[in-house]
Amino acid sequence: MTLSCAAGVGLSAIRSAMHEARTGLRVNDLPHCDLETWIGRVDGVEDIRLGTRFSGWNCRGNQLAMLGLEQDDFHTSVNGLKQRIAPERIACIIGTTTAGISNTEAAYRDLIDGEHFRDGYLRPRIHSPHVSSSFIAEVLGLGGPVITVSTACSSSAKVFANAARLINAGWIDAAIVGGVDSLCLSVLYGFHSLELISSKPCRPFDRNRDGLSLGEGAGFAILERQPEQSLGRLLGWGESSDAHHMASPHPDGTGACAAMQQALDTATLRPDQVSYINCHGTATPINDRIEAAAIKQVFPDPPPSASTKAFTGHTLGAAGITESIFSLLALQEQWLPASLNCDTPEADWADFILTDACQAPMEYVLNNSFGFGGSNSSLLFGRV
Amino acid sequence: MKIDVDIRGVGICAPGLADWNCLLDAFTGTELNVNQPLEMGSLLSIRDRRRAPVTVKLTFSAAQQACDMAGITPDKPIAIFSTAMGDMDISDYMCRILAHSPDQLSPTRFHNSVHNAASGYWSIGVGAKGDVTALCGGPDSATVGLIEALSRISDTEQPVLLVIYDGIATGPMHDLFPTVYPFCAAFLLSRPVAAPPLARLSAEPGRGPDSVPPMPASLIERIADNPAARVLPLLALIGGQTNRPVMLGAEQGPGILFRRREA
Repeated sequence: MTLSCAAGVGLSAIRSAMHEARTGLRVNDLPHCDLETWIGRVDGVEDIRLGTRFSGWNCRGNQLAMLGLEQDDFHTSVNGLKQRIAPERIACIIGTTTAGISNTEAAYRDLIDGEHFRDGYLRPRIHSPHVSSSFIAEVLGLGGPVITVSTACSSSAKVFANAARLINAGWIDAAIVGGVDSLCLSVLYGFHSLELISSKPCRPFDRNRDGLSLGEGAGFAILERQPEQSLGRLLGWGESSDAHHMASPHPDGTGACAAMQQALDTATLRPDQVSYINCHGTATPINDRIEAAAIKQVFPDPPPSASTKAFTGHTLGAAGITESIFSLLALQEQWLPASLNCDTPEADWADFILTDACQAPMEYVLNNSFGFGGSNSSLLFGRV
Repeated sequence: MKIDVDIRGVGICAPGLADWNCLLDAFTGTELNVNQPLEMGSLLSIRDRRRAPVTVKLTFSAAQQACDMAGITPDKPIAIFSTAMGDMDISDYMCRILAHSPDQLSPTRFHNSVHNAASGYWSIGVGAKGDVTALCGGPDSATVGLIEALSRISDTEQPVLLVIYDGIATGPMHDLFPTVYPFCAAFLLSRPVAAPPLARLSAEPGRGPDSVPPMPASLIERIADNPAARVLPLLALIGGQTNRPVMLGAEQGPGILFRRREA
C-alpha cells in the first residue's frame, strides 16, 4: 500500500507526521483561488511529468496519481502480483470525485468565442470522471475490470467492498483499490458556497470547530485473498444510505449506525473488540456531533477515536483510502494517532475522542467515511 | 465463472422510448416519436419535477418502471447507478461560473454536482436506506454497472436495481461528447427465484466487440449516439428479439457474454 497527501508523500513521511502530530495544512495558495482558508496541498504535483507514453492523460488528478504510484515500491509490488496472478484477473477500482475537473475548469477560463475549448483541451477522457481509474489501470498494466466509484466522500472506502465482492464472486483474484482527488476550484468554492469551510486549520471534534479544510491525496492498496506478505486484513464492511438530504447527514445518524453495525456483523465482531475508530470527522459543527452520537449508539463504551483530517485536510473522494491507510498504519505500529487540533474537546458528547496520541495494543480498527447523497461506508480492518 | 440471473423488470426512458412496450414496438419497426417529452414517473413531486437535476428527470421513470414490473417496492433493492458523464448541465454551469465569478456559485447546484446526485435523490425519494451506489466506467459504464450488479447477485439474495444512463452535453463539452439523445435503461435483477422472470440469462466474462443483433436503424443509431444505449442489444435479448448470445464489451477489462436460458 502507499499514500501521498499533505501529511507526507509515501508511508515513511506519513508515519513521521503521525508520530510527531504534524499537520500538512497550509494557508491557501492554490492558483485562481483567493479564499481565506487552509488547504492540504501536496507539494510539486504540478511539476510531475507523465512521460511521452501518457502525455495525453495530463491533468492534476493524474499527476497526483503518478506521484502516489511511484512511492513505497508500489510498482514493484504490483509487478510481483502480476507474476503470480494474470493481469486479466486483477481489477482496478478507484474512488474519486474531482477526477480531471481542474482541467475542465482551466479549459473554461480560456474558451474560444466563449463557446469552444482550445485544442489542448479537446481530449474527452480528461474531462471524464473515469480518467483516474482508467489512467491507473493503464500505467499498472491491469486487464481486469476498471471501475470508478464516485459517491462523494465515501468513494474510496466503498472500493474495498466492491473488490471483495468481485473476488468472492470469482470475477477476479486481486484488485488494486484506492482513491485520488486533487484540489480544484469546484470543491473550494463549492464548500465555500455551503459555508462549510473554516478560515483556520480544521479542528475536528473541538468545541470551536467551524468547518473543514480541503485537501488532496492519492492512495492505493493491493487486495487479495492469500497475499505473500500481508499489511492488514479487511474483515468487514458496511454500506448504507441516509435517505434524508443531499448535503446534510440524517440528524439521528441512522445511516452511519447502519454502516458501522454492518461492518461489525460481516466481521463477526462485537463492539468491545474494536480498539480504535478513525472517524469521518470533517470538523463541521453538525457532522461531528451526529457522528459522535452514532458511534455511541453502536459502541455503548466507545474505543478511543480520532479524525485524522487535521493532518491531511478532507481529501473527499480520496478520504476513504487516506484514512484506511492511517488505520492500517495504526494497527501496524500499535500507535493511535490523535485528533489533531482538538484542543478543547466536547466533553459532553465526545469524551472518547483522543486528544493525545498513544501506544496501545489493538487487533481491530474501524474507519468511517460518509458523503453527500447520504452515502455511508464503514470498514473494519484487522491486524496481520 | 458463470452466473444465472433473473431479469424481473426493465424500464426505459429516452426520446421516443417512454417504456418497455414502446421499446418492444420499436424493435418491430414502429417509428420513434422523438418530440414526446420525457416521462418522469410519479415518484417526484410536481415541485421536484421542475427543479430536480436533469439526471434525476432522466432516471426516475425508468427505475420506477423496473421496480413496478418486478412488483418490488422501490426502497427494497440495492441500487447501482452507472453513467459515463453524469450531469453535464451542472458541469457546464459550474465551470462557467468558476471562470468568471466563483463567489456566485449556487450551493444547491454544487451539492447536486456530485456523481451520485441521481442515486442520492433516488434514495431520498423512495426512502432506500440500503446501499445505493454510483459508478462510472467512461464509455464502458454499462458494462461496469452490469459487472457490479452480477457480483452483488452472487453476494446477496436481495434484488438489485441497476440504472444505466447518460444525458447530453451543454456548452463547449458538446464538441467532445456530441450525444444527441439522452438514454436511460433500468434493470431489476435477482438470483433465479421460483416466480417466472421476464427473462433468465446466464452471464460470464468475455472479451470482444459488442454484439449488434438485427434491429431497426433508428435504434442502431442510438447505440452509436449514447454510451448508455449500448445495452439495447441486451434488451433485445431480454425481449426475445434475438436468441443468439449477446456480448457487451469494454475498452479496458472484460466484457460480459449473455445467453438466454429456459426459466
